[in-house]
Amino acid sequence: MGLEASWNKLYRTLTSVRTGIFFIIVVGIFSALGTVILQRPTSEPEAMQRAYSPETLLWLDRLGLTDIFHAWWFVAVVSMFCICLVFVTMDRWPNTRKIYATPVRFAGPSFRACLPQSVQIAVADEAGAYSTAERVLSSFGFKPERVTEEGATGLYAEKQRFSVLAVYLVHLSLLFIFAGYYIVDGIVGYRGNVMVPEGQARGQITLRDNRGGESKKTLPFLIRCDGAGEETYADGRPKKWWSKLALIENGKEVASKTIAVNDPFVYKGIRIYQASMGQTGTPKTLTFTATPKNGGAPEIIRIPLNGQATLADGESLSVLRWVPDFYIQDNEVYNKSNFPDNPAVELGLTNARGETKKLWIFYLQGNTTRGQDAPYEFAIRGAQMTQFTGLQISHHPGQYGVWVGVVLMAFGLPIAFYAQHQRIWTTIVGDDRGGKFLWMGGIANKNRDRFQNKFEQIKTALQKELGANAADGNARKREEKTLTKA
Amino acid sequence: MSEAQVERQRAASGATLLVLVGLGIAFALLVAFLAAAKTHSGPIFGEANMLYTALVLYVGASTLYVGYGVTGIERQVNSASLLTAIGFVANTAAVAHRWSIAGRPPFSNMYEMLLSFVWTLALMTLIAERQYKVKIIGSITMPITVISVILMQLLPSDVRPLVPALQSTWLQVHVTLAMLSYAACALSFALAIMFLIKDNMKTESFQALTSAGMVAVYAAVLLTRFRAGALAVTAYDLEGKSEVMISRGRPLFIQIPDLGWLYLLVLLSALAPLVLYIAGQVKKNQLLFDYASKGMFVTLMLQAAGLAIFMARVRTGHYGSAEANGLYTSALTANPFLLAAMVGGIIIGLLYMLLLWRREELNRMMPSAADLDRITYKIICFAFPLLTLMIASGAYWANQSWGTYWSWDPKETWAAITWLVYAGYLHMRITRGWRGRRAAWFAILGFCVVIFTFFGVTYLLPGLHAYAAG
Repeated sequence: MGLEASWNKLYRTLTSVRTGIFFIIVVGIFSALGTVILQRPTSEPEAMQRAYSPETLLWLDRLGLTDIFHAWWFVAVVSMFCICLVFVTMDRWPNTRKIYATPVRFAGPSFRACLPQSVQIAVADEAGAYSTAERVLSSFGFKPERVTEEGATGLYAEKQRFSVLAVYLVHLSLLFIFAGYYIVDGIVGYRGNVMVPEGQARGQITLRDNRGGESKKTLPFLIRCDGAGEETYADGRPKKWWSKLALIENGKEVASKTIAVNDPFVYKGIRIYQASMGQTGTPKTLTFTATPKNGGAPEIIRIPLNGQATLADGESLSVLRWVPDFYIQDNEVYNKSNFPDNPAVELGLTNARGETKKLWIFYLQGNTTRGQDAPYEFAIRGAQMTQFTGLQISHHPGQYGVWVGVVLMAFGLPIAFYAQHQRIWTTIVGDDRGGKFLWMGGIANKNRDRFQNKFEQIKTALQKELGANAADGNARKREEKTLTKA
Repeated sequence: MSEAQVERQRAASGATLLVLVGLGIAFALLVAFLAAAKTHSGPIFGEANMLYTALVLYVGASTLYVGYGVTGIERQVNSASLLTAIGFVANTAAVAHRWSIAGRPPFSNMYEMLLSFVWTLALMTLIAERQYKVKIIGSITMPITVISVILMQLLPSDVRPLVPALQSTWLQVHVTLAMLSYAACALSFALAIMFLIKDNMKTESFQALTSAGMVAVYAAVLLTRFRAGALAVTAYDLEGKSEVMISRGRPLFIQIPDLGWLYLLVLLSALAPLVLYIAGQVKKNQLLFDYASKGMFVTLMLQAAGLAIFMARVRTGHYGSAEANGLYTSALTANPFLLAAMVGGIIIGLLYMLLLWRREELNRMMPSAADLDRITYKIICFAFPLLTLMIASGAYWANQSWGTYWSWDPKETWAAITWLVYAGYLHMRITRGWRGRRAAWFAILGFCVVIFTFFGVTYLLPGLHAYAAG
């Protein structure tokens, strides 16, 4: 087998609908499999370990079955399908182009024999028959035109010619969608997370790859959180999560927006979503009760974390250290986590002479400075914690390809399914006995049963209009019809 | 002559049996309904009352439609149609009332989705009847609406404000498109089945199909709920009126002893006719088909018994759990889909019986095979662009809310598979001229995938994952 022969065979395979259907079925089967086997990108690693034994998981990973939709063989099958689409289009296009650009306008004898619908009606005079046919066809919404070819005349009428192009629109839309998702977003797209505490800025996000690993990525700007909050309904269920964000590029604030769930921030193709919300282990402000040891009225005092406040007698109080989860070793206070589970606060009490006394409060161990040398007893009354906002950052420029595909499909599908290219030809034919007949034939490119009904209606109308002449040709017409059918 | 007499006699006794089984089921459903029915307070024309009215009318309509299938009396279908229309008005009032209370269209949870689905299905039934003269369609679609409304009585129905993720205009767009396209798919399925009947597909083949459906139902139930002979149901706190949760999103399962074995028996009884059918096909033995046909009665009876025992045992008694200490109660409310699956199995069995005994009459009542074929195609032509837009709007919404337009989550993936199947149907029909049986089977396959996407993905796939752990 020569090179050309192999190429021809390959070409025939790639241009057959059957090959395309085969690939689409394979895609369907693997997609179904991907919903039954837990997938790494959408499941927690712990869930995977709980669901499968280590050996099973190892093999699933090796075969790419834990990330089917990004496995090379899945992408290969989708690519093969796209290649088929391209080949089918290349193969069918010249013919469609011919039909669209230079339609057959005159039905010659061999062409007439091929049409599925046709009729012959005996007529007396040619010009009258054409004008009657024109009138009837116009009443059915056609715009018949007179054509002359090789000395013969006829009428040609068509409707919805554009519908032959719709299928290409639909195929093109699929290519746009696949290219947008797999090529553009597969190569340059990313999606990651970052937590930004109130008042701070972050420029680095954590990406989770499809194997469950993590990596860092630096954004071209910093995201600063100027505030974040949660609103709840009366029954305590969440109503709204929001964050006030500002973007800083080269040290300058370039944009700002208050985002919420379903209302992301889009800047230079990078989308910032509200994903989660929580409290950091650090308070914004702390409130203390100060009870004078000499028996005065207790005082309530509020201090920002790194600020200070003045007590009634002129001494000033500041928060020197905040330890969210303390432990003591070698008589020193250390922190073991960022969760405010067991907080301790070191206060500085400065008197008028500038002398500072350091005092500790251990919240869960009595919540007092009693026993420490100071004119007051302090206790923590409350803390307003700093919120952090969990943001999801994504960059999927391929989505525009996908949207273009969706729009093309939204236009293409209805045309492809509902519109049909209907064509009707008429011409005068004679038989060997010298009779004259108006021959009419038609075809539609799809939904042929619907067209058949319409053709019958046109035929009936035409027969009625030409009635006087048709009567004598009735018997012969039937005979002719059986001949055409045969 | 004598043969004909025997034939008629058998048919008559069959009809009696059908009526008896039907009454039994209706009674069981009524008990289930009353057990779960909430106190109907609120305005007379409020949602609860209107829905109750719609249910009563739909039950009446279903009975008449099915009765029409049995007797073939034209008058019954007119009354059925009238009942459906009045029920539809009540249904509309219920939808409108809920809409006005919530201040948004009712699409946000399972209860509201079913409310909209029932409304759409009733509407489409009326349209199919008027527009396309497919009178018998109600005998398939109206029982579906009845099951759905009963299910709704078991689901939490209080109007809840939307959580942040659902606060989007796209919710309405997406769900409206989904409801319309799924209801159209349901209709095309019913029409395809009718086509097969009209196209003289053998009754044995329908028996195999029904049997396969029942096997799928009970296999799904057992796969997720069988625990060493016991059947796991969701624990329900009767005082707190809520499911008992182990952790967020993980309900506590309690085990009803021995019920698992009963359901295994039911599964085997449903499988037996299918096996006999296959054996009959292979050996070309008519006798095996007859046995298979008898097996259908057995399984139907067992299923009805299983349903009754299930309801009795769920309602009375305290059961232990493998996951927590102590005894817990359960309620039908907590297990709507188990209940729906069982009732669904029985309904398809009854529809098969109807076919078995009244095929001739059914044939007479249906439009011609060619018409059914064409209408099925038209309905799918209507459903497919909606399906496309439903997926596209979902992707657009996901892009607003989840950070990506496509994340291959099982629901998305199955929606895409549904799309592929219907795209295949239309492609084959338009370019290859597929008609008749092949096309009908394709339409049936399409709806099976829709059902799986709608219920299976929600209740089976996470189930599979959770139990793989144990």
